[in-house]
Amino acid sequence: MIFDYETLKLITWLLVGVLLIGFALMDGFDMGIGALLPFLGKTDEERRVIINSIGATWEGNQVWFVTAAGAIFAAWPIVYAVSFSGFYLALLLTLFALFFRPVGFDYRSKLKDPRWRSTWDWGLFVGGFVPALIFGIAFGNLLQGVPFHFDDELRAFYTGSFLALLNPFALLAGVVSLSMLVMHGAVYLQIRTTDVIHERCKKAVKLFGVIFIVSFAIAGVWIAYGIDGFKVISMPALDALPNPLAKTVEIAPGAWMSNYETYSWSMLLPALAFVGAIIAIFWSMFNAPVLAFIASSMSIVGVIMTVGMAMFPFVMPSSTNPSHSLIVWDSASSYLTLTIIFWASVIFIPIIIFYTSWVYSVLRGKITVEHIRDNEHTSY
Amino acid sequence: MIDENVVDLSRLQFAITAMYHFLFVPLTLGLSFLMAIMESVYVMTNKQIYRDMTMFWGKLFAINFALGVTTGLTMEFQFGTNWAYYSHYVGDIFGAPLAIEGMMAFFLESTMIGLFFFGWDRLSKRKHLMVTWLVAFGSNMSALWILIANGWMQNPVGAEFNYETMRMELTSFAEVIFNPVAQVKFVHTVAAGYVTGSIFVLGISAYYMLQKRDLAFATRSFAVASGFGLASILSVILLGDESGYTAGEVQKVKLAAIEAEWETEEAPAAFTAFGFPNQETQHTDYAIKIPYVMGIIATRSLHEEVLGIKDLIKIGEQHIREGMIAYGLFKQLRKELKEEGKVREETKAEFEKYKKYLGYGLLLKKYTVNVVDATEEQIKKAALDTIPPVAPLFWAFRIMVASGFLILLVLLLSFYFTATRTIVNQRWLLWGALFAIPLPWIACEMGWVVAEVGRQPWTIGGILPTHLSVSTRTAGELYFSIAGFIVFYTVLLVVEMYLMFKYARLGPSSLHTGRYHFEKETVK
Amino acid sequence: MWYFAWILGVLLACSIGIINLLWLEAEENFEKNSD
Ligand code: HDD
Ligand code: HEM
Ligand code: HEM
Repeated sequence: MIFDYETLKLITWLLVGVLLIGFALMDGFDMGIGALLPFLGKTDEERRVIINSIGATWEGNQVWFVTAAGAIFAAWPIVYAVSFSGFYLALLLTLFALFFRPVGFDYRSKLKDPRWRSTWDWGLFVGGFVPALIFGIAFGNLLQGVPFHFDDELRAFYTGSFLALLNPFALLAGVVSLSMLVMHGAVYLQIRTTDVIHERCKKAVKLFGVIFIVSFAIAGVWIAYGIDGFKVISMPALDALPNPLAKTVEIAPGAWMSNYETYSWSMLLPALAFVGAIIAIFWSMFNAPVLAFIASSMSIVGVIMTVGMAMFPFVMPSSTNPSHSLIVWDSASSYLTLTIIFWASVIFIPIIIFYTSWVYSVLRGKITVEHIRDNEHTSY
Repeated sequence: MIDENVVDLSRLQFAITAMYHFLFVPLTLGLSFLMAIMESVYVMTNKQIYRDMTMFWGKLFAINFALGVTTGLTMEFQFGTNWAYYSHYVGDIFGAPLAIEGMMAFFLESTMIGLFFFGWDRLSKRKHLMVTWLVAFGSNMSALWILIANGWMQNPVGAEFNYETMRMELTSFAEVIFNPVAQVKFVHTVAAGYVTGSIFVLGISAYYMLQKRDLAFATRSFAVASGFGLASILSVILLGDESGYTAGEVQKVKLAAIEAEWETEEAPAAFTAFGFPNQETQHTDYAIKIPYVMGIIATRSLHEEVLGIKDLIKIGEQHIREGMIAYGLFKQLRKELKEEGKVREETKAEFEKYKKYLGYGLLLKKYTVNVVDATEEQIKKAALDTIPPVAPLFWAFRIMVASGFLILLVLLLSFYFTATRTIVNQRWLLWGALFAIPLPWIACEMGWVVAEVGRQPWTIGGILPTHLSVSTRTAGELYFSIAGFIVFYTVLLVVEMYLMFKYARLGPSSLHTGRYHFEKETVK
Repeated sequence: MWYFAWILGVLLACSIGIINLLWLEAEENFEKNSD
């Protein structure tokens, strides 16, 4: 192998980041569009236009999410274990909301009854709105530390409640992620549609773009001045066998800013988030949605990297016993497993990007009401 | 200590959601190949009817696929939400196939499936055919990786316990992939999927023939299904369970339990065809035995013994005693590590000797937290635990095998009468094919009961007991989640069945091409 | 090597499916031509 263990741990962190970004970019616009569906589509045909703009590709996009979960399981088993069991109720709600999507897309237009159809439309709304919100809330809680600790055999105990997850900062983070994905979704929908829906998309981009910019700015200030971060005081060598109980960690005000202070270039990341959103709003207004899409994608990349940079090397800080926090260096799988995941990603991710691009290029073009009428029985 | 209530509820939830997932999986596996075959013939002969066939069965495929994905999402979450200690303890091995499954299989299938439905007018014939084959290939790769993961739980090869990281760690990925249990499981399970797809197409086509409508469409679908299905059921029965049994401890215990063989019999052992196994008295009441057969099935020889349950319990007890030593040494190692920063070589060498049985030591955790202080009585109880519930295994296995032979019969006859071109007149057989539709589902579900119940009391055979694997959640939360799953899954299943029946009844007329039965009637 | 057996088996099963259909086609054409 060409890398030593510590480099591999770092690469794994980047890889999980890539998968999360892939998820937010690809499935993100599907969720955003789902959340907008009942509002941007007034008639049944308009709603079908919206659904069919993503109907053929949303399924592949969702796999970014599935794979991100699988990769976390493989790369950081203990993070997968603690986060999924800790956020139990929140994750089940997300899951139940996600249930509406496969069936919603597929079954909605199979029957003519308007009540049937509008039920599934709201189902698709839930399937977009709830997960987009909860992912933000989850990150909001990560940034404040999560109440868990381990016993000597590394069994995890979570001591928080579901309602405690819904604290003000976490809710703000929820608004950030929801508005970000809705903006992104509206931009994508603008690319694929014409006339009325196209116009409504522009309004949505403007509205949610502004909400996003404002909430992201408030969250930034809050993190810098209002929320205590975590700081590693001492720990074993970076390439030591992973043991989350062997280090000491301290809670310190402003600690989430320390990486930005050390590496001042990294301030470009939040800047990217803001600038991307502003450019997206402009290009959308001037009827250049493809460019706007690139800009909103940049904005999402900026947001995720901003959070990653603030927390590094923390993955899941513990508020009950900070020294039990999970960090990049002590949560990873064995050297061999990381190697396998590395090679699997190097081989498969380019292949995935290749055929996904091919599929998008085959299916490109605007979806219109006439198109739906012509394909009454084959479109969703 | 771990709340036994939470353990039972977590198991119940896993069983419900997994069995539900597997209602949809086999049809996806089988139907995708059948569609690929139909479309291949379309490209070869250029006859429109084959395109219609692909599109129509594709419609039913889509209805099923949606729920396959919905329920699959649950599975991906559930190891973390409900089996957190398990996820930490074996994630180093178990996670990798799951991640690769996502990258190699789910992406391929889910991306191509969109193009399959919406690409008919945008792709050349050959390109579209390629997309269909990729869908089939993707779904099979997904089965491959998940069954490698599941096979490893049955027979954990290529991994070792590390006391420093407190978990199992991978030592050889090749061993995990080429695990004999995984290989056999994969062939048996995907072939079971092909059978499911075939019987589905066969039964519904028989229904059209019984109604004397769309005959050209129905006989052709019937012909594909009978050919493909016959080959598949033969491989399910002949190949599926050829080997893999003697590979691991768990498989030996499972085999004895399936056969309700309490005592070790002299070779070659008899096969109990019928009876009522009683776990308490360790005896099978009203047993009807067929001499020799069991020995041949299990060992493929007339000379080797098949170990009986009572002897296996004794072996289990032995392992548990060694496991107690292993656990004591393990604690010692952790202590030295903590206090002195490194371990003593002697302790380490001793531990290496016993470490194989650490899992058996952990079985005692159910009765005493410290393990090393277990009483004789507790050891005896834990030894009894090493045997899975016999009666469910015994029955589930027989139901699966019986379904298998019924399916074989239906497919043989169907194939024969298709070849003689008289199938449309064999109304009794057509009825038989129609009523055979539930059989593969019954067999598949029973098969998983055999495989998974037979693995108890372990999640990872011989390594990690089930009751240690759970997350530290409360029973209340589990009631909430189980209730949620039951409500959602029931509603979704009703909706799915409704659409499935509606479209199956409509038949190819649902394509609105104007060429089929119901449309001809309404065209005046 | 059961994986290998699977590859051969699937190819075989698919071929049987395809041949079964082509056979049916061929016979129908044959009958049409003969009358
Ligand atoms: C990759 C792993 C894996 C796979 C592919 C499956 N299972 Fe499983 N199964 C487990 C991993 C597992 C488990 C996590 O290990 C469970 C949970 C509790 C337990 O003891 O084992 C389990 C339990 C479990 C039980 C309850 C057994 C008991 O508690 O006595 C049943 C009935 C099934 N499963 C059935 C299935 C079905 C129908 C599957 C088909 C999709 C399936 N399993 C796939
Ligand atoms: C407990 C283990 C399992 C997990 C974690 C799991 C996970 C999943 C997930 C997440 C999906 C949805 C994929 C998507 O979004 O497209 C899915 C679908 C599917 N699963 Fe499972 N599954 C399990 C068991 C099985 C088994 C045992 C088989 C086959 C033998 C199987 C075969 C399939 C197939 C064919 C699909 C169809 C959809 C697709 O591939 O996208 N799964 N599974
Ligand atoms: C008729 C002869 C059959 C025999 C002797 C047989 C034998 C077995 C055995 C022993 C197992 C347990 C494997 C384990 O625990 O590792 C099993 C599992 C299973 N069987 Fe069968 N089976 C037969 C027919 C069928 C049929 C007809 C189907 C479905 C159409 C089927 C579907 C399954 C499934 C889905 C599993 C679980 C996956 C696995 O463990 O491989 N079987 N079978």
